[in-house]
Amino acid sequence: MNRRPGALVYGLLAAFVVGSALPLYWSFMIGSHTRERALDTPPPLLPGGHFLDNAGRVLNTIDFWQAMLNSLIVSTVCATSVVFFSTLAGYSFAKLRFRGSSPLMGFVVMTMAVPTQLAIVPLFILMRDYRLLDTLAAVALPTLVTAFGVFFMRQYLVDAVPDELIEAARMDGCSMIRTFWTVAVPAARPAMAILFLFTFMQVWTDYMWPLVALQKTETLQIALDRLALTGQGQSTDYALLLAGTAMATVPLLVLFVLTGRQLVTGIMQGALKG
Amino acid sequence: MATVTFEKAQRWYAGADTAAVPGIDLEIRDGEFMVLVGPSGCGKSTTLRMLAGLEAVDGGKILLGDRDITTVPPKDRDIAMVFQNYALYPHMTVADNMAFALKMAKVPVAERRKRVAEAARILGLEDYLGRKPKALSGGQRQRVAMGRAIVRSPQVFCMDEPLSNLDAKMRVQTRTDIARLQADLGVTTVYVTHDQVEAMTMGDRVAVMKDGLLQQVDTPLNLYDRPVNLFVAGFIGSPQMNLLEATAVDGRAAIGDYLVPVDPTAAQKMRGAVTVGVRPESWRIVSDAEGGLPVRVTVVEELGADSFVYGTSGVEGTPANIIVRIAARDQVHRGDVLHVTTDPADVHVFDTETGERLSA
Repeated sequence: MNRRPGALVYGLLAAFVVGSALPLYWSFMIGSHTRERALDTPPPLLPGGHFLDNAGRVLNTIDFWQAMLNSLIVSTVCATSVVFFSTLAGYSFAKLRFRGSSPLMGFVVMTMAVPTQLAIVPLFILMRDYRLLDTLAAVALPTLVTAFGVFFMRQYLVDAVPDELIEAARMDGCSMIRTFWTVAVPAARPAMAILFLFTFMQVWTDYMWPLVALQKTETLQIALDRLALTGQGQSTDYALLLAGTAMATVPLLVLFVLTGRQLVTGIMQGALKG
Repeated sequence: MATVTFEKAQRWYAGADTAAVPGIDLEIRDGEFMVLVGPSGCGKSTTLRMLAGLEAVDGGKILLGDRDITTVPPKDRDIAMVFQNYALYPHMTVADNMAFALKMAKVPVAERRKRVAEAARILGLEDYLGRKPKALSGGQRQRVAMGRAIVRSPQVFCMDEPLSNLDAKMRVQTRTDIARLQADLGVTTVYVTHDQVEAMTMGDRVAVMKDGLLQQVDTPLNLYDRPVNLFVAGFIGSPQMNLLEATAVDGRAAIGDYLVPVDPTAAQKMRGAVTVGVRPESWRIVSDAEGGLPVRVTVVEELGADSFVYGTSGVEGTPANIIVRIAARDQVHRGDVLHVTTDPADVHVFDTETGERLSA
C-alpha cells in the first residue's frame, strides 16, 4: 500500500512536466530578447531583459486589450454554455430512460468523428445568411454545445450519481429539474470544472474558425497572427511575436491557478464517495 | 398509519418474457412490521418499489388504507423509503439531509427544525447534525437514512435491505434498534431482506417469495414450525432443515431401512416419493440397538452453547447430508457413526413432485 513511486515514474513525470512547460518558457524567453538576438544561432537559452520593451511594442502594434476582451467574452460564453447544456444532456443520457436514448447518444458520438474543417464552409454560409459575419456571435455560436462535452458528462454522471440518490430525491418530492440541481449538479461539479477549463482553452486557442468568421473584429489568436506578419519583407519579428504569445497565455495560467485547487479537491471528493 | 393492500399487482420489465411480479395479493395490517424475504431475483425489491412508486404497476392495484395509490407519484404517496446504500445527499449536512423532504413539502422552517431535532434525539444523532455524510460511520449513515424517513411522519416505511452494508456486529445491533423504533412509532413497515435471520427476528409477519410469487405469509414461528412447501422449509431456518428423499410404505416414510414415524394426516395423504423434513434440533441420538438413521460424522462445529454435527446418512444408494444439533459437551467426533431418530410431531412431510406439505 502507498508505495513511493520509483525513479522511472519520477523520471517520466519530470520529462512530461519539462515537455509541457518548455513552449511557455520558450515564448517568454525569446520574447525577452531583442529582435536580433532572438534570431541568433545558437538561440539564447536564458531570459534577456527586453520583455517589457517587446510588450510595449505589442500594445502599439495591435489592439491587444480589445482582442483579449473579445477572446475572454467568446471563451467564457462558450465554456459556460457548453458546461450548462452538456451537463443537462449528459444527465439525461446517463440517468433518464427515454425511447431512442442509445441511438441518439450514438449519433452524438458519431458527430465527433466529423472533422471541424468540413463544417467551415457551410458554417460560413450560415453566418453570412444570418448577417453575423465579423461579430463575436459568429465565433461563439458553433461552440455553444459540443458532442464531446455531452459525451464527457454522460460518462462521468453514469457512475458519479447513484440511481438510488435520484430515487431518494423523487421520494423526497423533487421534480425532475430539481433532482438535477440537487443531486446531479453537486456530483458533477468536478467534471463541470474540467469541461469548463477544457472548452475555455479550446476556444481561447482556436485560430481557424475566427480567421474565417471575422474581418475587422479580432480575437487574440487573430491579433497574434497579425503580429507575425508585421515587418513584411523582412524576417518575422520573433521577439515581438513570442512576447505577444506569452502575454496571451497569462489569462489561461491565471484561470488554472484560480481553479486548480478546487479542481483537485473536487476530483478527490469524487474518488472517495462511497 | 394505514393498511397496505396489494391486489393482483403486476410488474413486467421491458423485453422480459415473464413478469418480475406476476400478480401479488398481500394485505399488510395497520402498524404491522412485514418482512419480504427470498433469494435474489425473487421479486421482493420490485414489490417494495411498486409500493414506493419507483416501479410502475402494470396490472392490478395497490391500496393505502382505502386510497388507490397505483398511479400516484412517489412524493404524493406519503411513504418514506430507506435505501440499501442509504442514498444520502453527499453535499448536505445531516440536518439538511433529514429536513430535505420537509423543505420540498414547504413545511415552515421552525417546524422542520423541531422535527429534525426530535428524530435526531430518537436516533442519537444530536451531535452529528452539522456533519456531512462522508464524516460518518456506516452505522451513523444508516441512522441518518432512518431519520430522513422518520421526520416525514409517513403512513408507511419502505426499507430495502437497509442493514446489508453494515458489518455483522453492527447489523445485529441495528436490527434490534429498527425493530424497537418501529414498535414505538407504530408505523406500518415493509422491509425487504434476503437474510432469513433478519426476517425471523424483525417481522411481525414474514412473506416468503420465490419467482415473483408469494410462497407463505405467516408469523416467524409458524413459518418455522409449519412451512407450507419444500421451498419455505429449506429457506427458513439456519442451519437449514434436513430434507431427505423417502418412499411411502404403509403409512410410514422409508429411508433405506429406517422408517420415519409421521403424523396421521401425512400418513393418510402420502403416496410414492415423498420428502421428509427434520430440523437439526429435532433429531435424537439413540443407541445402535434402537435402530434409527445411521449417520457418519464428517464435521463437528462447536459453537459453545451447542454443536452442529454434519454427516452423511449411511443409507445405501442415496447418501444424504444430515445436520444434527447436539449439546455442546456431547462427545462426538469425526468418523463416528451415530444413530438418530425423531418424533412424528417433528417430521414435516412434503410431496416430492409438487413440493406441497402433507403433514398437519
